[in-house]
Amino acid sequence: MENKPDILEILTRTQTGEYCTQKEWDTKRIPGTIRNILKEHDLAGACDPDNPVNTDMELADKFYAAGYQAALELGFHCTDTERIISVTQGELDLAVEAAPSELLVGEGQHATLLKSRTPSDPYPMKTACTLGIAVSEEYWPAMHYLIAREPEVDLLNGGSLITIRGKEVLSSTPIETFMGYEHAQMHKEARRKAGRPGMGAIVSISAVTEYGMLSSYGAKGGYSTKDLALVLFPSEMKIDYRTLHKVVQVHNVGGAMKADSPAMIGGMPGPPEGAVISSIACALLQYTILQPQTGGGEVYDVRTLSNVNREALWAQSLSMQALGRNTHLMTHPCMNQVSGPGTEKLLWEIAASVAVGAVAGGTLSTGPRSAGGKLTDHITPLECRFMSEISHAASGMALEDVNEFVKAALPHYEDTIKEPDLGLPFQKAYNLDTLEPIPEWQAIYHKVKDECIDLGVPLNPW
Amino acid sequence: MGTQEILDGLKTAVIEGDEEDAASFASQAIDAEMRPMEIIKGAINPAMDHVGDAFEAGDAFLPELILAGDAARAALDLIIPTISTEDLEDAVQGTVVIGTIFGDAHDIGKNIVSAILAAHGIKIVDLGINVSPKQYIEAALAEDADIIAISSLITTSLPYHREVINTLTDRGEREKFFVIVGGGPVTPEWTAEINADGYGRDAQDAAKVVTQLLEGLAKGKTAPLPQPVLVGALEHG
Repeated sequence: MENKPDILEILTRTQTGEYCTQKEWDTKRIPGTIRNILKEHDLAGACDPDNPVNTDMELADKFYAAGYQAALELGFHCTDTERIISVTQGELDLAVEAAPSELLVGEGQHATLLKSRTPSDPYPMKTACTLGIAVSEEYWPAMHYLIAREPEVDLLNGGSLITIRGKEVLSSTPIETFMGYEHAQMHKEARRKAGRPGMGAIVSISAVTEYGMLSSYGAKGGYSTKDLALVLFPSEMKIDYRTLHKVVQVHNVGGAMKADSPAMIGGMPGPPEGAVISSIACALLQYTILQPQTGGGEVYDVRTLSNVNREALWAQSLSMQALGRNTHLMTHPCMNQVSGPGTEKLLWEIAASVAVGAVAGGTLSTGPRSAGGKLTDHITPLECRFMSEISHAASGMALEDVNEFVKAALPHYEDTIKEPDLGLPFQKAYNLDTLEPIPEWQAIYHKVKDECIDLGVPLNPW
Repeated sequence: MGTQEILDGLKTAVIEGDEEDAASFASQAIDAEMRPMEIIKGAINPAMDHVGDAFEAGDAFLPELILAGDAARAALDLIIPTISTEDLEDAVQGTVVIGTIFGDAHDIGKNIVSAILAAHGIKIVDLGINVSPKQYIEAALAEDADIIAISSLITTSLPYHREVINTLTDRGEREKFFVIVGGGPVTPEWTAEINADGYGRDAQDAAKVVTQLLEGLAKGKTAPLPQPVLVGALEHG
């Protein structure tokens, strides 16, 4: 941590920073600052939904400059104390410079090397599967053994447990603390059983508060500090003590952190262009204030709570390109789909969104978020395989080619983004005796994969 | 100033989220002896429809929704006390205590629902995030609320929905409040399982649920409902 701003000094700003009510922050400071910066940098109206992958690198650099300015003008708002954690230009520059550009996650032959990437970088964007979908305790072990067994899946993230030993997991209670440790055992067992004991992991998705994290990450018998600790802050440009407890814990045990919170199109920063600026600013600020090893740069659309629509894909491509070209940060395009397992649409949503993150310069993508993460058990290992295949294959493609691919993929699903088919749960999409996808789901996978190959994505057939 | 100019001014003030102007035009409308429902239907409702449509179309954003809701509320606080008994039947009124449930710090979904409900003229008491079951109930009692609205994005906070309902039941106060739920992991099936009174898939759906419940309340229906009001089906296997 040497050469970085002192984290204790930064933490005290939650008590000493400028007082600002949450309403003032939400309705005046964020939108007002973003609006002024958009105008000053002449970026309003830059979004081009007809070309969801930006190919203008000067535009990406202009957005970076705008996001950098927003980071310095805004800072993070601490929701517990309603004070602003501001950072100086020197602190921000120092922190971004000191952030690592590579990180080995996991141990031994099964570890995964994350690397900072630039647009069209041939080094593949890595994947962590799945993205925080609730999973029944009954199906969790088999499902995660199967996901860990997929060779293309780089890191195991995993579904959230809704019970532990049959008892409901209530966040912020001792049951969450209990679950955090026990879930670590299940997580490690899934990787061991799959023959990848050193496979890296992102943890602990079930620990929504600091309790589940404190009981498991870096604890004896819990998660290894070679795994990535997940620190999600409550929303863009906001931090709270709950998040900061996790941050301090990761620093204390010498672990590695992935920190995130997506900027929201339609939310406080407004239009897609505003969300790109907010996303870049959030990434720069989190590396200064939380000091993670990786993460940042996500953009969602608040109207669909996903990022598979044209505006969100465009914004996501810009945010990744801007950070990839102007920093060595290891960013995280986290792509949220809306359709569910067993549907063609889910695979097209994955193909389009993950290809965008990969070609734009993202380091690591967590997903899939099948059925928008809305329904318990609505995730299968097959779409995890497909996501990882797309991520690796699309990484070295030209931006122009991925733009054409995404334009061909979008008509397969964009008419149902607001009314998606949420598909099938794991226990219906897989045969639980053979632990294989049902023939219909397997056939859909091959069909969409073949069509992606025909559209120029260099996937390995079959 | 003519009555149409006053209504136009009020409508613009609400759309622009200007609380002071909205209150000022509302006062002028009352002084001009315009009927309260004429003011609401002629200025506030169309202003909020305008902002809601613009949000859906991507032409307005969450800050505008919040500010417009606050401006509408500033005007309605002056207008509602002047509504006559016979007009009350036409006015959907009510108080909703809303918050993100305990263990969950996500606020954006709750903020959108709050803004949309305020836009419909409903009084909102926003308890923020990480709200315990006891806090919902105490606030609902203190505010004499009609509805408790619970937002969640995290699965492991869902059991607290049931705790709100069970605590209300155990305290003998379940019939005092409709309880509605919504957010990422919430489904119609969950709503029925915990005996909540309503579910909306998104913010606009939540507004429809609240409106239906308040209309039902005006007609004498009380909590708990035998079947919840569900708006926004989910298609899945």
